[in-house]
Amino acid sequence: MTDLSFENVSITYRSSSDRGDVVAVKDVSLDLPAGATLGIAGESGSGKSTLIMSALRLLPKSARLDGRVLLGGKDLQDLNFGQIRAVRWAQASIVFQGALHSLNPVREVGGQIIEALTHHAKDTWTTPEKRRDRMFELLSEVDLDRSKAIAYPHELSGGQKQRIMIAMALACEPDIIIADEPTTALDVIVQKQILSGLAALVAERGISLLMISHDLAVLSAVCANLAIMRHGKLVEYGPSDEVCLRPQEEYTKQLAGAFPQIGDPESRLNPRTLKPAEVTRAQPYTMGDEVVLEAKDLSVSFDTRHGRERAVRGVDLALHKAEILAVVGQSGSGKTTLARSLLGLQEVEPDSQLSFAGKPLPKKAKALRTFRRQVQMILQDPSGSLNPKRSVYEAVVEGLRVQGIRDREYERVVGALEAAELTPAADYLESIPQELSGGQRQRVVIAGALALDPQVLIADEPVASLDASVRGEILSLFLALKKNLGMSALIITHDLGLAWNIADTVAVMKKGEIVEYGDVDTVLKDPQHAYTQELLAAVPRLGSQSLVRNE
Amino acid sequence: MSTPTHDDSRPGDPNQGPTGSGPGTTGAGPGSAGKGTDPASGGAASATGSAASASGSGGAALTGPDQDMDEPPAGGSFARYFLRKLGGAATSMILVVLLGFFAFRLLPGDPVLKIAKERPMSPAQIAELRSQYGLDKPVIVQFWDYLVGIVTGDLGESYVYRKSVASLIGEYLGPTLLLTATAAVIAIALGLWLGQLSAWQRNSLFDKVASSTSLIFWSVPTFWLGLILLMIFGGTLQWLPTGGMVTPSLEPWSAAAVIDVIKHLILPVITLVAVVYAQFLMVMRASLLEEMSEDYLTTARAKGLTEDEVRRKHAVPNALLPTVTVVFLHIGGLIAGAVTVEAVFSWPGLGKLTFEAIRGPDLPLLQGTFVVFSAIIIVMNLAADLVYRFLDPRVRRA
Repeated sequence: MTDLSFENVSITYRSSSDRGDVVAVKDVSLDLPAGATLGIAGESGSGKSTLIMSALRLLPKSARLDGRVLLGGKDLQDLNFGQIRAVRWAQASIVFQGALHSLNPVREVGGQIIEALTHHAKDTWTTPEKRRDRMFELLSEVDLDRSKAIAYPHELSGGQKQRIMIAMALACEPDIIIADEPTTALDVIVQKQILSGLAALVAERGISLLMISHDLAVLSAVCANLAIMRHGKLVEYGPSDEVCLRPQEEYTKQLAGAFPQIGDPESRLNPRTLKPAEVTRAQPYTMGDEVVLEAKDLSVSFDTRHGRERAVRGVDLALHKAEILAVVGQSGSGKTTLARSLLGLQEVEPDSQLSFAGKPLPKKAKALRTFRRQVQMILQDPSGSLNPKRSVYEAVVEGLRVQGIRDREYERVVGALEAAELTPAADYLESIPQELSGGQRQRVVIAGALALDPQVLIADEPVASLDASVRGEILSLFLALKKNLGMSALIITHDLGLAWNIADTVAVMKKGEIVEYGDVDTVLKDPQHAYTQELLAAVPRLGSQSLVRNE
Repeated sequence: MSTPTHDDSRPGDPNQGPTGSGPGTTGAGPGSAGKGTDPASGGAASATGSAASASGSGGAALTGPDQDMDEPPAGGSFARYFLRKLGGAATSMILVVLLGFFAFRLLPGDPVLKIAKERPMSPAQIAELRSQYGLDKPVIVQFWDYLVGIVTGDLGESYVYRKSVASLIGEYLGPTLLLTATAAVIAIALGLWLGQLSAWQRNSLFDKVASSTSLIFWSVPTFWLGLILLMIFGGTLQWLPTGGMVTPSLEPWSAAAVIDVIKHLILPVITLVAVVYAQFLMVMRASLLEEMSEDYLTTARAKGLTEDEVRRKHAVPNALLPTVTVVFLHIGGLIAGAVTVEAVFSWPGLGKLTFEAIRGPDLPLLQGTFVVFSAIIIVMNLAADLVYRFLDPRVRRA
């Protein structure tokens, strides 16, 4: 068995730009004894990925490491390249985010597993046949059918790719598995399957697990110990329960609070953030009776090779004035198609009735343009939805110009930026997206929508690509917009916590149908439909320790 | 005569298709042949694009019962894919045939008067010549004759050579294929090999030297380079023959004759390779650079592969995908480049034949070479689609 320990590790990226050297990790010491589980939590830029990459000496050439990384008592710096290659995968393997691009897209996944075996051919798997059998054995260990061995990555779902990554990591019977955000981009139900599978496999074999994530609840479900990192430094370290439920540091509290506990009254309509958006109106708007946007018997079909597939089936929805409605469901449940239909971006089946302010949704280009002034869309990835070459002013003003609104252009833009809490607005006007943080970019996107004084915002996973601390800020902004301006919002999400944080009503979608629809408090506290119950049960809970083995 | 090779596209700009933006299309067959392929390549690109997005969104709708709700669907058959691509190619070919007839009718200059200029002829003789070539018939009838001719393989008779165009093309096609195929194989192999090494050692001395050398050759006019080589190796040093393809005195297919052909081949091939290999190098370099930050390379490194294995087994196969499309498109450009090279080295190929036909203007011959050049490029595009499907599993099963 092998121990992994970091002793006073600092990692610096040399950079030729005028910013000078960047210190990614500062003086971190951590121990992972054989058979232990350790989670490292932190936001982007906290240095957690850099730290774990140093465990296999996978850092780029521009990185300098001070301190020592010891694997089985040996300093990795002392090994030559041949020795380090022998250590990689055989003693310690990595599970990357399989859902993304960690598998070679043009090679069969079975072959990619065999490749690891070939490079560390131990006495056990000497011949190609034996290696092939070993590969099939690994597939069955992660509950995948043998037939998947000849599949290419694009033929597998996110969850299946993640299983392949885990099978590959187990291939050479390593002593340590390092998991890098193994469930990010997977929805809750698949996430739970992956986490419990990983935890069980690791426990059976006595493999030690080092896992990093931005989500404390995910880590606490699998790991006995937790370390919190921020700006390259270790902020807090201790047993999972202690860190999650009785955090000492302010930053840990913030991280722990970012993903709310459903059912916890403190976080209901109150997203945790250090920078809450201000509610200025003396009598804040509350959800009214007036229906703004309505869908009746909405169906959408797509032509596929297998004939027509119905992505949305007979959905009835009503969005009231100053209501925040969360539509939740797994990927593939049709929620994005629903949002596109409500914006008039998607052709719908003839029987479907869509209406805005009591009138049917316009079909003609000119009328649609006026309609879109009232209903604005906000997309998931703020970096992708802003043109990288345009300044903030240009990004926000574009909607006004498209709509032909010429008067008081400057005032409108500044007003929108201030409503999105980018103050003072003048400081941001000339910035281009790359100079802004993720949260600021999403605020610019929101300001672009607000500039047109819309009545409805439709947001597709507005906080999914943001860090935990920024998430709270943006959610509190949505709440403030509702209270100050009486704006209605329909928010598409896979995150039930978001619904608990800000929504008035929630609609649960499964395979194109709404299976449960109602008041948030009722639906989430007392779910009636089996699918809602399943979704709720799959949400990892802080300090629940559900999957940790007891030693 | 411009150098069409340089007009097709620039290196480092792999997405620019043969837009035929002007200078290449001086009315010459090969230049406008590039235009003829546009529908094919454009159609192919959008077809694969929509297939990919269909599988993406279709995957979302086709949900399995339990765990894998987002499992993508299985792919379609090869036959359907092939038929779809073949249909696209056939459409392009029809457009080329139409264009081939009408474009040359719009050229200035009356071919009969041109022939008549060279010797004294009475108006009656001119009228007879006109009726002999069918030029006195209404355009629609001429067009019908042309279509029937194409279908039956009869491309008319050359005004200048007084021979059937089909047999002329048959005679000159072999040398052109020999020249361009040799040059293509060498240029592609050289370009791809240097390109991947350059990308892998980005900003190293090797990268800088290899890239800049290739660009210098790329910027050199084809005819100029050909003439310089001709002067040095053919004239001053007298190492190699200065023109033609064979020395007439030798027995065909004897060992001496084969060596003789190879000797004749060296200078034109070097010229052609030197001016085109940069585009392959640049495309390969750019696609490999794109791949170099991908996560699956980190996975491969973490698995304990050497840098060399990471490059050969993981990075290059992926980088080849975008490269293949561009490589096949550029083979069209290579054929266009052959026109200049053949003219400089008096290589008895289609390029030289086209060159003669333009000087005519020898309408039937121009039409014939135009259709043949276009057909070659369309076939190359079809081949690219098929090879692509073989290389990329995402297309294969989409």
